[in-house]
Amino acid sequence: MGADFLEVSLNALKLIFFFLMMVQMVPLLVWLERRGAGFIQDRLGPNRVGPFGLTQLLADAVKFLMKEEFIPQKAVKFLFYGAPIFALIPASLALCAIPFGPKFEIPAFSFWGRHWGPYEFILQGYEVGVGIVFILAAASLAVYSILMAGWGSGNKYSLLGAIRASSQIISYELALGLTIVAVVLIYGTFSLNEMVTLQRGPLSFEFFGKMVTIDFLPNWGIFYQPIGAFLFLAASFAESNRLPFDLPEGEAELVAGFHTEYGGFKMNLFFIGEYGHMIVASALLITFYFGGYELPFLTSQELLAIYQEAFGVGLTSSLLNALTHFAVFMFKIFIVLWIFIHVRWTLPRFRYDQLMELGWKTMLPWALGNLLLTALIYVASKTY
Amino acid sequence: MVEALLFWFLALVTLFGAVAMLLVPNPIYAAMSLVVSMIGISGLFAFLGADFIAGVQVIVYAGAVLVLFVMVLMLFDLKSETQAFSKGLLSRIFKVASVGFLLGGLIGVMVLEFSWILPVFMQSSPQWTMTGVKKMAQLLFTEYMFIFQILGVLLLVVAVGAVALARSRGGTHERA
Amino acid sequence: MKGLELFTTVTYAHFLFLSFVLFALGVLGVLLRRNLIVVMMSVELMLNAVNLTFITFAKALNQLDGQIFVFFVMTIAAAEAAVGLAIVVAIFKRFREVNIRFFQFLKG
Repeated sequence: MGADFLEVSLNALKLIFFFLMMVQMVPLLVWLERRGAGFIQDRLGPNRVGPFGLTQLLADAVKFLMKEEFIPQKAVKFLFYGAPIFALIPASLALCAIPFGPKFEIPAFSFWGRHWGPYEFILQGYEVGVGIVFILAAASLAVYSILMAGWGSGNKYSLLGAIRASSQIISYELALGLTIVAVVLIYGTFSLNEMVTLQRGPLSFEFFGKMVTIDFLPNWGIFYQPIGAFLFLAASFAESNRLPFDLPEGEAELVAGFHTEYGGFKMNLFFIGEYGHMIVASALLITFYFGGYELPFLTSQELLAIYQEAFGVGLTSSLLNALTHFAVFMFKIFIVLWIFIHVRWTLPRFRYDQLMELGWKTMLPWALGNLLLTALIYVASKTY
Repeated sequence: MVEALLFWFLALVTLFGAVAMLLVPNPIYAAMSLVVSMIGISGLFAFLGADFIAGVQVIVYAGAVLVLFVMVLMLFDLKSETQAFSKGLLSRIFKVASVGFLLGGLIGVMVLEFSWILPVFMQSSPQWTMTGVKKMAQLLFTEYMFIFQILGVLLLVVAVGAVALARSRGGTHERA
Repeated sequence: MKGLELFTTVTYAHFLFLSFVLFALGVLGVLLRRNLIVVMMSVELMLNAVNLTFITFAKALNQLDGQIFVFFVMTIAAAEAAVGLAIVVAIFKRFREVNIRFFQFLKG
């Protein structure tokens, strides 16, 4: 946590910041989604409240808060109230373990008659040694909020939606896990920070005893794992219950799936959880395959050197460096989120049997094959 | 001191989950409290330096096995279970007493045979993170290779068996 | 002061004692509960208590073998849960309830 009072409190602030960031990104994302839908369907979308309709979601939040508290008669109260709160936990736990930027240093200074030693902070909620395992573990708890909501509502549609959602998440977790195993195989580490540092610089790898360097490409994971990246993207669509895999909420069959009975702010919490899953999925995709917070052709040390030339060595340059990479990471996240949104408004929904068949008979064999191929090439290029 | 607080917190969470599982009549609540207990145990694993196992514990138990339990329970909809516990006061007393006997025996074995472990404090040994996982993989794929492969075969058999069992006639899948 | 030390320091014996208690609770669950699924959950709890013992000794002896055995136990537990639940589903289809009462219908 930290050696002294300042470090502990700054770390705590950092943690709160990352949690609030997830919550605060949701209105922006909803706005992006609705405007994007408008763009794709050749209409305007929300544009009345505030500039470009940006404050529409604030107004919506106020409306959600004003709504009547409603509990179905047959609901199990404890589960019904617990589920929306629980929906926030997995996504925020996972998001806090993802690195959003490089370390930044606060050099030693004296204040109030005391020396405050040099500090080092990572733009990350907390650092976990086995980062990927932790994130997978946190994400695997997401099923419970869905099941709690579905069963606690005391409604057949909710229950069916919940059962669908959980079985879908479990099925696609297999393919997701296998692609992540291939990623771990390539990088040789569980730590997301180390993965990002390994993706610095131009594409260079050892191939049958020769060092190959391709200058015009960054050293990103997607060039090592093209199939894996695609499988990961598809599986994360299913994990976050988005179209084309949003069977749990298929309106035509199930009204609104597991949150049929929810309204007002409880519904909003589910929303935040779902978008949180999207954010986590896209952040992971970027960390695994698209260089994390690193710029394509400029490593973070080089950028730091440039800043230090301009502003001198110290807090300013290191903080600027961290913030630049944070902005880069957010930019990359928004690109992936835009893909999520674009897919939602272009692809039709699968049928349920098609979904299961895709998960078990297509994605799983491909993920296994990808893992096998990766391992074979890895071993062959290391030994010969 | 901080270590002790952490331990007691995790121990209380784990015990609370286990006791609740034992006492709550509704099986769904029992499953949920078992999830709490599993997460507590995973915290204890991480506390003992086995980070990787802690993550796997949550993924396997909380994320897969207990989800299966909860899903089966929800499909059966056992809300209206009248009698959660077995009948008979005498047999109950007998059962509790025998479990107490078992617990006493376990503690006795610990005190008599493993007395060296009693005063050993948790030392802050180097964390088994990535290097630990690498060592574990080396051990798993050399010394324990045979068991590993046997487990693979077992899992295959179990998968086939579970599908064959659950597919049995009756219910909505009536065949011929 | 001697009594307080039990609470302010953590020895391996704490972990072992905790795992014994968890195991005992699991056994109680198997003996006392009538719902088959809860009985199976109690078995899972017993397996977890054993895992905790394994990890404690792995740490105390500074050997990784204990962790590997935890892996094996987890695999077996998952397999057991899958088969057990399949059997429970079959029983439910036959008797419309998942109570240990079904044992009295078994013939062998």
